[in-house]
Amino acid sequence: MRARGEVKIELGRRYRFAASHRLHSPALSDEENVRLYGKCNNPLGHGHNYMVEICVSGNVDPATGMIANLADLDGFVEREVLDAFDHRSLNDEVPAFRSEVPTTENLCREIFRRVRAFPQAKLERVRVEETSNNSFEYAGE
Amino acid sequence: MFGKCNNPHGHGHNYTLEVTVAGEPDPVTGMVLDLSELKKILEREVMQRMDHRHLNYEVPELAGLIPTCENVARVIWNLLEPKIAQGRLHRVRLYESADLFADCYKERSNDVKM
Repeated sequence: MRARGEVKIELGRRYRFAASHRLHSPALSDEENVRLYGKCNNPLGHGHNYMVEICVSGNVDPATGMIANLADLDGFVEREVLDAFDHRSLNDEVPAFRSEVPTTENLCREIFRRVRAFPQAKLERVRVEETSNNSFEYAGE
Repeated sequence: MFGKCNNPHGHGHNYTLEVTVAGEPDPVTGMVLDLSELKKILEREVMQRMDHRHLNYEVPELAGLIPTCENVARVIWNLLEPKIAQGRLHRVRLYESADLFADCYKERSNDVKM
């Protein structure tokens, strides 16, 4: 319980992984896919160096001064996200992207679904930079 | 629990502090808060207290607190908030490294869980 006007504290942590994807929607014709996704529709895919920013909130434990043990958060994200995504084909190796187009919007949502289970703090937000010029955020429903 | 950060001789960081002030721009100056005024406040309240200091021993506001990124950000919020005379302090973001930061802000009304 936090009253209106109280100061809220969040912890932000950044991670990086590299992965390939191909943007292609089965709901569109091949020509429409090329028109919509352009170079990103290349049949053999292409890659990005992604940056993932995870923000969590919670009470700062007076004994440790921390919202969550950073090593535990790092371990959780490594297991749930980085091991599953790094140096992989998102389309072929991440089950969610067999039915969803692996745009960075959908990637944010998939990472949110995976990190939401972190037991020590509340997941506030996932932000993913696909390149230094575009980033996407998802804060849950 | 703290790993390398528990080294008895301590360790250092090059912190980056990002301060956001929100408010209506003044109709005459077009500014929410005079940037030079903000710089003076940051210099006086934060830099003089913390820059090149041992956070465990030399910053009275941190006495009794473990100087984690969360706690240092909170102390900076508490130091700055009463000093921002124009506009209001919206967010304090303290980077301990490029990959780790703590944010402080006032609970937004739509976040309030009663």
